[in-house]
Formats: sequence, C-alpha cells, structure tokens
Amino acid sequence: MSYVTINQVTKGYENQVVLNDISLTLKKGEFATLLGQSGCGKSTLLRSIAGLEGVDVGRILIDGHDITNLSPRQREVGMVFQSYALFPNMTVFDNIAYGLKMKKVKNVKSKVKNMIDMVDLIGKEESFPHQLSGGQQQRVALARALVMEPKVLLLDEPLSALDAKIRKSLQKELKRIQKELDITTIFVTHDQEEAMTMSDRIFVMNKGKVVQSGSPSEIYTSPVNTFVAKFIGNYNVCNMEVFHKLVRSTELKGNEVAIRPEVLQLVSVGEDSLDIQENWGIKGFIKDVSMTGNVLRYEVETEESAFLVDYLHHRGEMFEQGARVQILVPKKECIIL
Amino acid sequence: MRKIKKQKIYLLALLLPFIMFVIGFEIGPLVAMIKNSFYADDGIQVAIDQYITIFKSEFYLQAIQNSLVISLFSAVTSVIIAVIAAYSITKFSQKIQNRLLMIANMTSNFEGIPLSFSFIILLGNNGLFTLLFSKIGGDVFADFNLYSWTGLILVYIYFQIPLAIMLIYPSYQGIKKQWKEASSLLGGSTLSFWLHIGIPVLLPSIVGTFSILFANSMGAYATAYALVGSNYNLLSLQIASLVASDVALKPQLGSAMGVLLAATMIGAMWFNERMMRRIRRDLR
Repeated sequence: MSYVTINQVTKGYENQVVLNDISLTLKKGEFATLLGQSGCGKSTLLRSIAGLEGVDVGRILIDGHDITNLSPRQREVGMVFQSYALFPNMTVFDNIAYGLKMKKVKNVKSKVKNMIDMVDLIGKEESFPHQLSGGQQQRVALARALVMEPKVLLLDEPLSALDAKIRKSLQKELKRIQKELDITTIFVTHDQEEAMTMSDRIFVMNKGKVVQSGSPSEIYTSPVNTFVAKFIGNYNVCNMEVFHKLVRSTELKGNEVAIRPEVLQLVSVGEDSLDIQENWGIKGFIKDVSMTGNVLRYEVETEESAFLVDYLHHRGEMFEQGARVQILVPKKECIIL
Repeated sequence: MRKIKKQKIYLLALLLPFIMFVIGFEIGPLVAMIKNSFYADDGIQVAIDQYITIFKSEFYLQAIQNSLVISLFSAVTSVIIAVIAAYSITKFSQKIQNRLLMIANMTSNFEGIPLSFSFIILLGNNGLFTLLFSKIGGDVFADFNLYSWTGLILVYIYFQIPLAIMLIYPSYQGIKKQWKEASSLLGGSTLSFWLHIGIPVLLPSIVGTFSILFANSMGAYATAYALVGSNYNLLSLQIASLVASDVALKPQLGSAMGVLLAATMIGAMWFNERMMRRIRRDLR
C-alpha cells in the first residue's frame, strides 16, 4: 500500500518543461531521496508536494487523499529549507510553537519541550536564531516541522549549507529521528554520497524525469544508463567499439560498457597473472595518482581512452606515475548500458 | 604604522570642512539657542522666565498641542499608507519598481512654499479642481477648505508619504520568501504571517521612519506658513514670529520654544525606540 503517490505530474515554465510526466510511490515510513544535479527538477517536485508550486498535469496523493489542489496549510506536510528559514524575531521556543499556535493545538508547552529534547537543544529555548550556529538553526527548523506531526516530511537540501563535520553528524541524527518517529520523508540532495548514506530508496532525476529508482546498492551496482553511471559512482564508461579494440574481443554486445573504478586491478606489465577466463587485460601507463584519504585513485591512460582505478590505500603498495601497467577487467563486473 | 597615521591625518583633513560646517551651522546655533532660552527678555539676566511664560500661556501651549497633533496624525497616516504602498511597489517588475521609486524620490523633495502654492492652485478657493468640479455640478469640494485644519493635514500627509515610502521600501527586501512559505506550511494565514513575522521584522524601519516623519512635520514651517499664514497656531509658526517678526521680537522666548520643540522630538524618538525593543526582543 503506497502512502505517497505522485501520478504523472508535469509542470513547465513558459516553454521549458521542469517536471516531465513523473510518477512514483512511497511506502509509509520510507526515507526517499530525490537525487540529481541542480536544475533537474528535484526541488520543484518537492515544492509541488508541499503545495508551494502548482502542477500543470497529474495528481499527488498522501495517505489516500488527493492533495493536488489543496493549499500548503491544508496538506499536513512539514518542510525544512536549505536556508533554515527560521523566523528571526522569535526565540527557539516560539519558532517551534508557531505552527501549534496557528492550529490552536493544546499542550503547546510540553510538545515543544519534547521536540527540543529530541533535537538536543535543551537550554537554547530562549535563544534567537542569530545566536545559534548553522547546525543548531537547522535542528530548530527540523523541530518546527516535526512538532506538527506531519504526514510527510520534506527536506530541501537541508544540510548543504553546513560544513562537512556537522553535516555528517546531522545526517546520522536526522536518520535516527526519522526512524524513531517512523515518518515518511522525502529528501532532496545533489550529493550522491549523502543520498547513499541516508536513503531507503533513491530516485535519480535528470531533466525533469526520474531516470532510475531503487535502493542505494541497486542504484550503485546496476545503473541503467550512462547518466546514472557517471553521476552515481564515477563509473568508467566506455564506448563498445573502443572496448572491443582494447580487450581484443567482441564478446560483449551493446552500446556502452560501464565499470566501477574499484573492481579494476592493476598489475605491472610482464607480471603475468592474467586469468583470461575471468578477466580481460588492457595495457596502459599511470598518468596520474591522486589520494582522497583512504582511497588511491589512478588515472590509467590506454591507447584509446583513460580509466579510473581505485585502490584502498595500503602502505607501500603504490604504482609510480608513468609506470607501465596492465588493467585487469573482471568480466562479470562489466555492465552493459 | 607611520603610514597609517599619515593617512588618517589626511582623511581627517578632508573631513575638516564638514566638521566646521556642522559646528558653525548646527552645534553653534543649538548651543546658542539653549543658552538664549535661559535669559530674560532683556538678554542679560539669567532666568527661566521664558519657560514659565510658555507653560502659563494657553496660547503657546495650544501651539505645542496643535503641532503635536498634526505631526502625530500625519506621521501615523503616512506610515500606514507607505507600508502598504511600498509593499505594492515590491510586487511590480524591477523596471516599474525603479520608476515608481524615482517618482517617490522626486516628490519627497517637493515641499515648502512650492508645494503649498501647487495645492492652492489646484484645491484653493479658486483652485482648478474646485472650479472644475463646481462647473460640472458634482461639487465634491463644497465642504472642503484648503486653509483649514483638514487642508493643512492633507498637505502634510502629501509631503510625508513619498518620504515614508522611500524609507520603508528597502526593508521589504529583508523579508524572505521562505518565511512566508514556512509560515503557510505550518498552518499560518497571510494575515498571521504579517502579524507575527512580517510587521515585527519591518518594525525597526517603521519606527525609524515614524520618528523622521514626526520630526519632519514638527519642524515644517514654510508649507504651513504659505498655506495658513498666521491664521493657524503651530509651534514652528510661533517660533518664526518670535524671532523674525516685525511686531514683537522675543528671541529668548523663541529659543525656549525651540528647545521644547527639540525636546519633544528627542522624547518621541526615545519612546519609539523603547516600544520597539519591547516587541523585538531579539534586537536587544
């Protein structure tokens, strides 16, 4: 039984299509992420669910109710913005209590107290937004949305304005709170790593369409097209004709082949450990070595195109720049696009 | 280190004409006015007679009261109109906004005698509109008298509005669209947004504008003088007649009234500031 249903939603500005026939469904309690580059329509879709933007065609349902034409205040959704959007003239307490007061809910005090407790802001009740750090402000914004007990929580790049360390810790906390309250959440981000860590399900968007959906590991291990392969995991995407030439075999059929950088292995030329049953070999030389902490990334130039090869950073095992190598390409790891 | 000092001296030297101007034409007269107000009519004896005269005279007290009432009324009305007008301006395209602001800017400099005469030409007893409407038959201005309290207020409000718009307009840029969105998602109506967030955020600029408008109309002299002459009892008109009249020249009394005028303005600003801080606790 789906809890949120987006049914053939289309929206355009003037002569530009922003959302192109989008359909998707979410289960209750699911943490879904809309992932894509800026301008792909992910924020517009989120804002359409919130009612901050209308749609031209299609329907949006939450918990069986058609909310397509309802105003934002009738939709029972909560939203957290990238820029926090806290009311500057109100204290933390008043910010969180605002919605409850608008809806004339009882027990405002205890509800707000619980929320402040949950987002770990005890002692900051009487502070004003400008006295808080970015991370604290975003917690207030989260509490302000959650205290209304919305049916769906919408998060519009809520962590993008924060620095890396706070971002990581808020990711964990957000996930914890989401699980604790079992609240259906739609998260928008352009950061694939963030999407992988947080989501139960990812919808990859490009040019106003959902190009692939699935669990993080499905999306990562079996991208359906070049866009997803390149956007999600730094895949090596190679034209099939070129690939045939490089491996001297026409065993694979299709347009393109995608290979993850971490499944490739490097061996020195002459060191003959090539298992031709399982692997193909491509000769080349190390053009560049870069390091991102625990990962060593080799850029290997071959006669036709360059490949990225990722290694975990072990002590003493390093190929020098310019070294001649052979790339081992495991046959079963090649994804045909 | 030495270089910086040298630069500072140059900068101060550049400021010198301005400082001299301020001392000569603002601080000097102010000190002289305060000093003068504590002399008796002969200008020799130190006394507080002038203040006693003012507070014992119903005529002068009425002048103060009239000035206060017209200033409060015109400032409040203009601020309310300007808050709404400036908001509507923000709803136009940038191009139209710029043009409207240019008009506001121009008209905000249109005051004093030219303004009064324009009103006389248009709405006076033999004014264009007055005659036009009586000829047409729809005698809208039959009960209207430009040279009265109502007329005076109309002209005051007229010259206050553009200034108020100019002063309030920029603060609308500080109201973020996302506050409105957040408020509506939390169940707030447009009214509750403005009541709880919009107006409080605008408040400092509204209060500041009010103070300026209040001072502006308390001190307005030429407009009132050209329109009602000495027929109407206003503080600024009384001060003028005491320091520049041909009949009864009493500069000491005029100075004392000037001091009271300044005190009212300072008092109004202080009161405004206090009220604002009560509401906007985050600005403390």
